[in-house]
Formats: sequence, structure tokens, C-alpha cells
Amino acid sequence: MNGRKTFGGGGASGGRGRAGQTQGKDGQQRRPMFRRRKVCKFCVDKIDDINYKDARLLMPFVPERAKILPRRISGTCALHQRKLRVAIMRARVLALIPYTAE
Amino acid sequence: MDRKYELVYLVSPDASDEQVADVHTQVDDIVQRLGGRLEKTDNWGRRRLAYEIGRHKEATYVLEAISGSGELLKEIDRRLKVSDLVIRHLIVRVDEDQDVIERTQTKRGNASSRRRTARGLPPERQPGEGQRGEQDDDRDDRFEMTENRR
Repeated sequence: MNGRKTFGGGGASGGRGRAGQTQGKDGQQRRPMFRRRKVCKFCVDKIDDINYKDARLLMPFVPERAKILPRRISGTCALHQRKLRVAIMRARVLALIPYTAE
Repeated sequence: MDRKYELVYLVSPDASDEQVADVHTQVDDIVQRLGGRLEKTDNWGRRRLAYEIGRHKEATYVLEAISGSGELLKEIDRRLKVSDLVIRHLIVRVDEDQDVIERTQTKRGNASSRRRTARGLPPERQPGEGQRGEQDDDRDDRFEMTENRR
């Protein structure tokens, strides 16, 4: 639960987060936007074991509607997204993570 | 060859501690009878469920690490399905995944020590070495992703 809340409150990201918001629909054409390259969290933090029991680890990847966050948004690499998916599906069976938002 | 499994089951919140222990002994019995080994049990205690199962909003979680044959786990699965006290259970085979994890970890360790010796450093990371403030950074990435989307 907690993890989901912090996820929604994007303001916590500070200055760099705001830079992303200033980009309007036409902002992209006028000047090159500095979009930070997305990196796979699991590669960077060297998390080998994406475990279904660790709901705290998985929560950031199932935002408000409890859907699995797609790779194109989270930046997770294919290998880890696959493992993440399996872990989330298992955690859902055990009611550690919701299937849907109620 | 015995395989390693993890079994997690959720016991109804109406059950007393003795009944929870009873389910555990039942599982243990089957394991003993069919020539397996109970490696570890871990009672996580009562937790809130992410969604209601039946009419229950919370349940007692118990984790058991078992090594044994597929037949053994099949029997346990069958018994837990029948049980009224156990409202949900999950059996996962873990030995193969653990092998993969170990292999990647040793591979990474070897690669890092090789790089370090190539740079004339001791192969192990020394205390107090490396950048600080790593923790602050890693969480930011995720927040930024959702903002870019909107």
C-alpha cells in the first residue's frame, strides 16, 4: 500500500522530475528535451532475485490501477521484466499484491 | 534427485494458533511419509490481504521450504486444496532459479575482481570505497517515469 502511495506522489523526485513536466506537446520540436535515459532498476541495483515474497520490491511496478507497469515506462530490461512479471503474478495469488484496484 | 520447493499457504483468520500448528504438522507428516525433507518453516503471522478471499480480509501466512519429489508436492497440493482452513496456497519450484541467481552472482563477483586487479586494486571492495548517496538516486528514476508519461 505504502509503496503505491509514494509512487503516485511524483513530487518527491525533486528538480529533475519537474524538468519532465515542462515539456509540452510542442516543446519537443522547439528545443531538444533532456529526457533522462531510463535504466533497468534491477540491473543498476544488482538485484538478481526478483522474489514474489518481497511485496515492497514489486509495489512500484504495479501503480494505482494495479496493472503491471510496462517496460517502455519503467525502463526495465527484457530479462528482468520477464522475471518481474512472474513474481507479480505469484504475489497476486497470495494476495500480497492486488489484481485490481478496488 | 530431490527438488526444492517453496510452499506458502494462507490459513483462515478464524483458526486458532493450534489449528495453524495442526496444518503444519499435517504437511510435515506427508513430507515424512513420502521421503522428503522439511528444510525450513517460517510463520509470517497475520497479514492484511491485498484483496478479499472469500469473506476474509486477513490471513496467517506460513512459508515452508521442502525438498522432495514431485509426487510428494502433488499430495500436499491435493490435501491443501481439500482443507477448509487453508484458504489459499502456492507451491513454487525454486532450485533452478536459485542456481541461476548463484551463477550470475559468482559471475559478477569474478568479473568485478578481474577488473579490479586489472586496475591494480585489491580484488575485494574495501570499506569506505565508492560513491556515496547512491540510495537517494535510485528511487528518483521511477518517479520520473510516470511523470514523463503524463
